[in-house]
Amino acid sequence: MPAELRLMIPKESDEIDDRQLVRTIRGGDAEAFEQLVRRKTSKVYSLCYRIIGNAEDAKDISQLVFIKLWENIEKYDPAYAFDTWLYRMVTNVAIDFMRNKQSRDNAVNSNLRLVKTSTDAEQGVVVQRKEIESVFNAVSSVLSPKQKTIFVMSEMDDLRSSEIARILGCRESTVRNHLFNARKLMQQQLKKRFPEYSRLWEEKQ
Amino acid sequence: MIQCETFRANVQSRDADVLEHLRKCDACLDYAVSVDPDNFFRAIGGEELVPPGGIDAFASDVMSQIRVRQAEAPGARRFLVAPRRLAAAAAIIVAIGGGWLGYERATQTVAPPVIQAVHKQPLATKPVVETYQSQNATIVEMPSQGGSDANVVMIFDDSLPADL
Repeated sequence: MPAELRLMIPKESDEIDDRQLVRTIRGGDAEAFEQLVRRKTSKVYSLCYRIIGNAEDAKDISQLVFIKLWENIEKYDPAYAFDTWLYRMVTNVAIDFMRNKQSRDNAVNSNLRLVKTSTDAEQGVVVQRKEIESVFNAVSSVLSPKQKTIFVMSEMDDLRSSEIARILGCRESTVRNHLFNARKLMQQQLKKRFPEYSRLWEEKQ
Repeated sequence: MIQCETFRANVQSRDADVLEHLRKCDACLDYAVSVDPDNFFRAIGGEELVPPGGIDAFASDVMSQIRVRQAEAPGARRFLVAPRRLAAAAAIIVAIGGGWLGYERATQTVAPPVIQAVHKQPLATKPVVETYQSQNATIVEMPSQGGSDANVVMIFDDSLPADL
């Protein structure tokens, strides 16, 4: 089964459980809500962490998501997948947080030094798994919150463009445009700051 | 997890098995990135992360925050919806009221302007005083321009009737 189907569309039984759980929560059952929190924490936190890139902030944002979920549970329409609605809430809260944070951090990010020198770039490229995440956090800082969110959902959560469009409430073509621009901007940043890795793309072209 | 050979043969697929291998097998990472550089960042995803402190601590933090909020504003969740409902109700009332007023104005027959009856005082001819005699009156005779100019005389007397 394709990854996007596995990750995004829950098994029928899970989805029924989610809806039943929501019905119970709407009846005022706080324990049912706690059960929902436990069930969705990893999913919510993972997405927040990849968008925000910081464990503590991601934890705070995840908590805020669940509080909003509790406050707005009446608005959930069971005709739609619960996870889509949950993801929409996560992306809205995370994008808002990123927008506020970005305006504060812009000056700092612009002064980050190059991690590798051009001499290093001429050496053979050996991709270090442990480095990828820090490289991503560095180069993705130039992306807009929406670009980064879409990139994360597409490349790391393996969601299809159509699913991302449904979550964000935009067109599929908009999602593809954001993805294209995000890749382009990140390649430019790689070239500036991690030239040894940018060669991977240059060699391919 | 699929074998490295299977992975390398299907490296451009985005099937879950292939992505799982990409994210777990260090030996195949270089190869995958050399075939498709986008696999570089794709290699990050996949696993579900756990917040610092674990899921239990996280869930109880969330629940305690919710309890605090409920204690601070009992019924807050219920009332969160109320202002919107009130606003919607007010908007409907205003819309219906406005529409009704507009309809009333449009369909109202224009009443003829009310003509206020002005009761004019009938003109009365006052007697012309040709002679006047009084002990207390002050009589002032305006100087005449001569010819056909009327001769104006002003009489100030407390004993004269008011309408004279």
